[in-house]
Amino acid sequence: MTKFSVNDRPVEYRMDPDTPLLWALRDASNLTGTKYGCGTGDCGACTVDIDGEAIRSCLVTIAECEGRLVTTIEGLSRDRSHPVQQAWVAEQVPQCGFCQSGMIMAAAVLLRGNSSPSDAEIDAAMTNICRCGTYPRIRAAIRRAARVLRGEERIAAAPPPGIRPEDAARAVPALHPSPDS
Amino acid sequence: MAGIRDTVGTRARGTPRVTRRSLLIGATAAGGLAVAWSVWPREYQPNLTAAEGEHIFNAFLKIGDDGHVSTIVPQCEMGQGVSTLLPQIIADEIGADWRTIAVESAPISPLYANTLVVDEDSAAFMPRAGVPDFVADVRSWVRREWAVRHAVMLTANSSSVRMFEGPCRDAAAQARALLMMEAARRWDADWTECDTQDGFVLHGGKRLRFGDLAAGAAKHEPPAQPVYRASSTDPLYGKELTRLDLPAKVDGSANFAGDIRLPDMVYASIRQGPFGATRVKSIDKRAGLASPGMLYVVEHERWIAAVARNWWAANRALDRFAPVFETAGEPISSERIDAALTRALAADGWRIARAGDVEGAMEGRTQIAAEYLVAPALHAPVETRTATAAIEGDRLRVWVATQAPAQCRAAIARATGLAEQAVTLFPMMAGGSFDACLDHNVAVQAAIIAREIKRPVHLAWSRAEEIMRGPPRAPARAKMIATLNSAGGIDALVSRIAVPSTNHEVRARLFDNMPGDVAQRASVGKPDAAAVEGAAPTYAIPHYAVDHCPADIGLPTARWRGNADSYTAFFTECFVDELAARAGSDPLSYRMAMLGGSPLLAHCLLTATTLGGWEGGLPGSAQGLACHSMRGSHIALMATARQSDKGLQVEQLVAVVDAGRLVNPAIARQQIEGGLIFGLAAAVGATTDYEGGVATARKLHQLGLPKLSQSPEILVEFVDSDRDPGGIGEIGVPVVAPAIANAMFAATGRRIRRLPLSGQPL
Repeated sequence: MTKFSVNDRPVEYRMDPDTPLLWALRDASNLTGTKYGCGTGDCGACTVDIDGEAIRSCLVTIAECEGRLVTTIEGLSRDRSHPVQQAWVAEQVPQCGFCQSGMIMAAAVLLRGNSSPSDAEIDAAMTNICRCGTYPRIRAAIRRAARVLRGEERIAAAPPPGIRPEDAARAVPALHPSPDS
Repeated sequence: MAGIRDTVGTRARGTPRVTRRSLLIGATAAGGLAVAWSVWPREYQPNLTAAEGEHIFNAFLKIGDDGHVSTIVPQCEMGQGVSTLLPQIIADEIGADWRTIAVESAPISPLYANTLVVDEDSAAFMPRAGVPDFVADVRSWVRREWAVRHAVMLTANSSSVRMFEGPCRDAAAQARALLMMEAARRWDADWTECDTQDGFVLHGGKRLRFGDLAAGAAKHEPPAQPVYRASSTDPLYGKELTRLDLPAKVDGSANFAGDIRLPDMVYASIRQGPFGATRVKSIDKRAGLASPGMLYVVEHERWIAAVARNWWAANRALDRFAPVFETAGEPISSERIDAALTRALAADGWRIARAGDVEGAMEGRTQIAAEYLVAPALHAPVETRTATAAIEGDRLRVWVATQAPAQCRAAIARATGLAEQAVTLFPMMAGGSFDACLDHNVAVQAAIIAREIKRPVHLAWSRAEEIMRGPPRAPARAKMIATLNSAGGIDALVSRIAVPSTNHEVRARLFDNMPGDVAQRASVGKPDAAAVEGAAPTYAIPHYAVDHCPADIGLPTARWRGNADSYTAFFTECFVDELAARAGSDPLSYRMAMLGGSPLLAHCLLTATTLGGWEGGLPGSAQGLACHSMRGSHIALMATARQSDKGLQVEQLVAVVDAGRLVNPAIARQQIEGGLIFGLAAAVGATTDYEGGVATARKLHQLGLPKLSQSPEILVEFVDSDRDPGGIGEIGVPVVAPAIANAMFAATGRRIRRLPLSGQPL
């Protein structure tokens, strides 16, 4: 009843089937990038991709996810290379960052189906709440990510995680590759 | 450990020169201030931990053998970018390569006391006027000493850069001197002839990495006074560097207090009942414990927490426990709040600020008056109050976002009966806050639950708890009275403001550990200059007075992004607009005529109206203005807004800001944009009614917060300036509501005198 795929891995949750997906992701899978902000679908901080749709994971139970493909912020890319993630850093979108996983997932789903969204389409897709006021930058970042997806622009704004010290030292003279040598 | 000896309180800058003799005299003159020898400045050593191969230079800096430079940030990162700004100041002064900069949160220590905010706060409490300068100086010195001794590391009042730019720069300069001394020793050169750049010490053609010098450098004795780096050809200061926290905020890896995961951890939700002197009366234990996934119930006299295998199961179990609360006294309601404000406005108040002779100037003249009403404002951060706590033997560890870590730790220690030294607090990033993290109840509750169940526990308030139990920014009612000169300009202005004595409450909760209802009652009737901050006009008005009329509304209130300025600017800027209309003047020229003494604000206003295409404030133009100065910064805003069949439409906001020198213009721009949208939310919503002691709103959508589709076009410009940095986190907030209200008046001829603007007309 509660078998489905999360970030390309098969999972079976031994939880109450009525448990909202949000809490299975956060408290059972430790995928804490997906946030709780309201539990009523208002804020969108828990937005994930289910079979290509942007869904508030607080409003869908794990039973309803049976057999479906769930992608969270952790599964969007392995190295922050998704155009939306790159555009988000290039446009300096996040402030506190708490709502941003949900924003990024909603934007990624929007752009997958439409690489030239109009303002009205962006408005309709981005119904998440951000209290820091990142809205103007979100619009700009979505347009920028769209340009990347259309092949009109390249961005390298966010470094991948886990850069090895040797590689860092090759790029940054002030870093010592091996302090003991 | 070598390195500079950090001294707090003995710095030449910012501390009045007081000898013991003048202190004693001052203390006596100040009315018996108890000043013991123990307030004398003392030296504190940094309590940092060095990793292997890392060397502690001072309270703000560690350098590794590998060349990384760890900067220590003593402020809560809540989106304002402080964990990039302070490192940027340090990196610039020491001459580091930006790519080698690492960031750590500071441990609790007197070295990181925010003496500026304590001093400003105290000055707002007890205005300096009427107190001889030397007494004021001594009082302020004593307050700073108090702040240091109690490690008051407040994050508040847009003070991060204003407070810490100096200490960060000094710390970096001292560390730089040590690195140059070590390099000079190896080269047999004069260290003062060395320089630094991109993480190297340079001399002639020679250069050495910081990393290669760190171990030796940390053993030198620094110069008595910091020697600053000559300005670089390519300074990091002023550059639009990418925030250091962004990569982790786009892949879900940035950890907040609720993202900590520990072995054997369980999840808790809480119910606290109505505001007031509330006790848990009964719960249905049998039904609650039978709820699936339920593990423990923790019963406190003021709240009940359910602990389960996941948070949702815990929160669901609370419904089944069906707690019944009992509240002593008359329950809080919107009606009672409004009645208390009206009553306070009619009663005597405290005169907080004055100039000239308002009574004399107003006598026998036609007085123009208007009343304004502002609803309570909720913080409503997307992250609800959250903390994680774990007992390990006789030690307690707590992860929480807090704007007052030392006071948070003290409260936890008191509630759990542990010594403060047995409590380790991990300062986390806040998911918004907007000053909500000045309250640390959630950390205390998590600690109590962890102690009770002897397992690591995560406690998150539900959204309904957050709305119901987060004390809001105070509601306020004002009566504005003016008389005009023969040219229609303002000759005299009285701003009478009925509002609770919020800052007494905040202090009592924060420093005296009082429950909200007790602190509220204790504050009743007290004069609170900070509660009417920003009401003294920036305009050249010959006679003015600002009165605080303390209102006993029963509801605990809190600090909030923009604090009192968020309503005082609404009162003043709307009323000035009314007077301009009455005088038949253009609201721009009416203001400009009174801004001769405030050239920086006048410049902002002229630039904003030029950029925005000001049409002279003609009826039907839908354009409105507001300007304001606070925390050493100035802002002017031009709004274009109109009523349509879809409701209030804010089409454009054009802001011009003079915030002095900008450490990072990109972050400054984020802060102004964010402040404007926060102000927009408060102009249209971000509030709730109260009934029977609780908020009537339970869900986020009931707060009317703007979404992307309601976000206007925003244009932000900064004035080039070499002034010392002003505050930037809050100043965007206060101007929005009055600029929109003024635009709506221009568009419709209808004057809205209440916030939110969407409410019934006053």
